[in-house]
Amino acid sequence: MSNNDTVADRKIVTFTLGKRIFGIDMTSLIEIREWEEPTPLPNVPPFIKGVTNLRGNVIPVVGLSERLGWEPSAIHPRSCILVVSIAGKQAGFLVDEVTDIVAINSQEVQPAPDVEIGEPSVIAGLVRITARGADGTKSQEGQMVLLLDLDALSLTKHLDLAA
Amino acid sequence: MSDELDEIQAIFFEECTEGLTVAEEGLSAMQNGDTSADTIASVFRAVHSIKGGAGAFGHVALTHFAHSFENLLDAVRGGKIEPTLPLVKVMLIAFDTLSDHVSAATGQADVPEDADMIARLDGILVAGGLSDEDEGLAPAPSAQAPAPDAAKASEPSAEDADPFGFEPVTVDIAQLDGDKGGPADWLVRFVPGNGDLANAGEPLLVVREVETLGGEIIAVDLGDMPGLRDLDTESAYFGWTLRVPGTVEESAIRDCFDFVSPEAVVEITREEGAVAMAAAPELPDVRAQVDPAGDLDQMLSVVQSIAEVTAVASPSPGTDAPRDVGTKYPDKPSEAVSQTIRVDLAKLDMLLNLVGELVIRNSILSDRLSSADQQRVELPELARLTRQIQDNVMSLRAQPIRQAFSRVPRMLRDLGAETGKNINLETIGDTTEVDKGVIEKIGDPLTHMIRNAADHGIESAEERIAAGKSPDGTIRLSAEQKGARIFVRVKDDGRGINREKVFAKAVEKGIVPADAQLSNEEIDQLICAPGFSTADTISNISGRGVGMDVVRSNVEALGGRVEIASVPGEGTTFTMILPLTLAILDGMIVRLAGQRFVLPLAHVIETIQPEPGQVKRTTPNNEVIDMRGEYLPIKRATEIFGLNDDRPIEDSLVVIVESDTAGQVGLVVDTIDDRREVVIKSLDQNLHPIRGLGGATILGDGSIALILDIEALVASPTQTRFSPKGMAA
Repeated sequence: MSNNDTVADRKIVTFTLGKRIFGIDMTSLIEIREWEEPTPLPNVPPFIKGVTNLRGNVIPVVGLSERLGWEPSAIHPRSCILVVSIAGKQAGFLVDEVTDIVAINSQEVQPAPDVEIGEPSVIAGLVRITARGADGTKSQEGQMVLLLDLDALSLTKHLDLAA
Repeated sequence: MSDELDEIQAIFFEECTEGLTVAEEGLSAMQNGDTSADTIASVFRAVHSIKGGAGAFGHVALTHFAHSFENLLDAVRGGKIEPTLPLVKVMLIAFDTLSDHVSAATGQADVPEDADMIARLDGILVAGGLSDEDEGLAPAPSAQAPAPDAAKASEPSAEDADPFGFEPVTVDIAQLDGDKGGPADWLVRFVPGNGDLANAGEPLLVVREVETLGGEIIAVDLGDMPGLRDLDTESAYFGWTLRVPGTVEESAIRDCFDFVSPEAVVEITREEGAVAMAAAPELPDVRAQVDPAGDLDQMLSVVQSIAEVTAVASPSPGTDAPRDVGTKYPDKPSEAVSQTIRVDLAKLDMLLNLVGELVIRNSILSDRLSSADQQRVELPELARLTRQIQDNVMSLRAQPIRQAFSRVPRMLRDLGAETGKNINLETIGDTTEVDKGVIEKIGDPLTHMIRNAADHGIESAEERIAAGKSPDGTIRLSAEQKGARIFVRVKDDGRGINREKVFAKAVEKGIVPADAQLSNEEIDQLICAPGFSTADTISNISGRGVGMDVVRSNVEALGGRVEIASVPGEGTTFTMILPLTLAILDGMIVRLAGQRFVLPLAHVIETIQPEPGQVKRTTPNNEVIDMRGEYLPIKRATEIFGLNDDRPIEDSLVVIVESDTAGQVGLVVDTIDDRREVVIKSLDQNLHPIRGLGGATILGDGSIALILDIEALVASPTQTRFSPKGMAA
C-alpha cells in the first residue's frame, strides 16, 4: 500500500454493523444522534424501524443491518443513528457504533467484488484504512471498509418496489 | 448578472399575470355593461404595463401584439370608439391571444398565431369601430403585419401611438408633417427623482435615449446641488434640458421616460411653450418605491397644475393627454394602500416549521415545571404569543381563491366556442382566502367540473328555448368559508343528471347490480365512481376522458369531499368541501395497541363504549355494531396495521366515522387521549406515502403520532371496490 505518497481527498465516517466496518461519505452526513426508540409505522418493510422527530422534520429510521440483509442490530448503549441526506431526502440509519472519521484517497477505493449482500450494488467500493488502536497508535495492518452507495439505499426506490 | 436578470424577469412575469387578471376582470365588467372610464382605463393600464415590461425584456412578439391591443383600447378609452358588446367580445378574444403571448414569453407555450388578430384590431381602429358587416375578418390594408420592431419605444413611427391618449389613428408621417407645417422643436426638461440612482434608474441612459432621437443637451441645471458635505452619492441632483427636433413625435420622446420614477420631473414643450406637463409614467410597481401618501399629494398637485395648463392651452395634437393623466392617477394611490412583498413559499414553510417547533418546545418546557410555576403569568403569556405567531404565519399562506378561479372565464370562452353554447359566468366569493397549497391543488378538479358543466350540464340554445329557459346558460362559481372548511360550488342551470341513463350505464359496467335499489342521491354519486366516467361512457355525463372520479380522488387527497346535487331540468351543483389549510388538522388523539394516533375530527360522528353483545360477528372476519337498530360495519385499525392487540371489545371504544366511500363505519380504538389541533407533517417528504396514514405530527412532548387516513382505512384492505351500499351516507 502506497498511501503515504497519495493525497487524501475524501472523508468518510466509519461505523460498525456486527463485526463489519462500513463507511459513508462525510458530505452525506447531517448528524449523529443517540438511539431513541422511533414511532413504529404500519405497512412498511421490517427494516424501517419507524419515524423520529428531527427538529420538526419527520424522518424515517432504518435498521441498516436488516436493510443490508443481516440479522437486526441489537440495541445497546453505544447504538446510534446516523442521519444522512440521500437525494434531498433525510433518513436515519441505526448502526452499532460510530468509530472514526477517516481521510482517504479516492484512487485507493477498489470496486466492490460481486459480494452477496442483498443487492450487490449497495457497496460502492472497498478501501483499506489504517485503524487507530485503543492507545492511539496506528496499526500497520489496516482494516477493510465497505463504502456504501447511499443512492442505491434510497428508501423511496426500495419502497416503490415493496408497495 | 444573468441570475439577477432572470429574477427581475420573474417579477415581470408575475406582474403580467396580475395585469392579465386585472384586464380580464375589466373586460368581463365591460361585457356586463360596465363601460365606465375607470374600468376601461384599468384594462388599458394593465395592457400598457405588460407592453412596457415586455419591451424591456425583448419579448418582441408580445410587445407587438400588446401594442396593437393597446392602441385599440386607447381609442375606446378616449371615446373615439364605442365599447359595444361585439367589440368587447373581440377584445376578449384579443385578451386570450395576449394571455397566450405571455405564456409564450414565459416559455410555457408556443408563440400564438396573431397576424389575423392584429389585423382585426388595427382594422377596427382605422374604421373607428366595429362595422356592421365586419366581424373584422377582412383586415384593413394598412394593417398588414407591421415589422415587429416598429413597436420599439425608441423608434418614432406611425405605429407608435402615445400611451397617454395621442390620436391613435394610423396615419403616415408625411401627411402629419404636412398638416403641421414644420413644427417647432421640442424642449424636454428632465430632472430625475431623488431616489432614482439608488433604485437603479440611471438617468444617463434616459438622456442617451433622447439623444438617439436627435436630441441635444442645451442646459444642465445644477441648482439643486448641495454643498460637498451634504452630498449624498446615492442621490441624483442634476437636471437636463434637451432640444429635440419638432418632427419627432411626442410619444416617441415620452417613451424614453417610460421607466423613470414618478418623482422625476419630465416636461415636454414645443419651443414656443404651448403645453407643459409633468409626466407620471407608469411603472410596473410604483408601490414598492414610493410612500403612498406622499405619492398621492404629489400626484394631486401634478394633476392640478396640468388642469390649469390645459385650461389655457390651445388645442393641439398633444393636448388630450393631460385629461387622461387626470383620469388616470386618482385611482392609483388606492391600489397602493396595501403594500405587498414577494416571498419564496419555501421560506414561509420553513418559518412555519420553526414556529411549530417553538410551540412544541414551549409545552415541553411547561411540562418540566412544577404546577405552581406553570400557573405563573409568564408561561401562559409565552404560550399565547407563540400561538399568535403560529396563526399569523399560517395566515401568510392564505391567498384569495380568485387565483384558482381566474382560469375559468377563459376556459368558458374556449368551451363556448367549441360547443357553440353561450355561457355566462357568475362568480361569488372569490376573495375567500384559502391556503396556497389548496389553491394550487384545486385547479384541476375545478377545470374538470367546469368542463363537465359546460359540456354536459348546459344544453344547446335550441334545447334551452324548448325547455322554456333563456338561451344562454349560466354557470355560477362560488366559494365560501364555513368553520374550518371551504365550500367551492359549481352550479349550472342545465338539464341535470339523467338518472336512468346513469343507472343503466352503471349496471352495464358492473358497478352496481341490476336489482340494486338506489336513491336519487346514490345514483348521482355514481358519476364519481371509478371506472364509470371513461371516454366510452354515455355522452351526456362524461367527456374527453376526464372522469369525475378524478375530481373526487383529487379532492379526497386534499382531505375534502365532493357532493353532487341535481334537479332534472334545473341543473346540477357540484360542491367541493375542502379544508381551510393543509397544514393544520383538528384531530382526536387516540390509542391503538398503546400507540398514539391522530384521528381527523372532521370524520368523527360519535363515540360509544360498546355494551356486551352490541358488537356481533357476522362472518369470521367481519363484525357489526348495533347502533340504535342500525348495523354498521366495524373495522379494527389494529388488525389493518398488523398491531398486536387482544383487548376485548368491551374495554375498547368505538368511534363512528363517516367516509365518502364506505359511509359510516365503526373504528375500534383503545382509548381517546385528547382533542387538539395538530400540524401535519407529510411522510412522503422523507419517505413514501403509507396506505392508511395521512401523515404524521409532532406532539407536545416532541414524540411523533401518526395521522390516520380514514378513507383509506375503512376501504382497506379488501374493500376497495366501489360499494353502492356505502353511499347511503
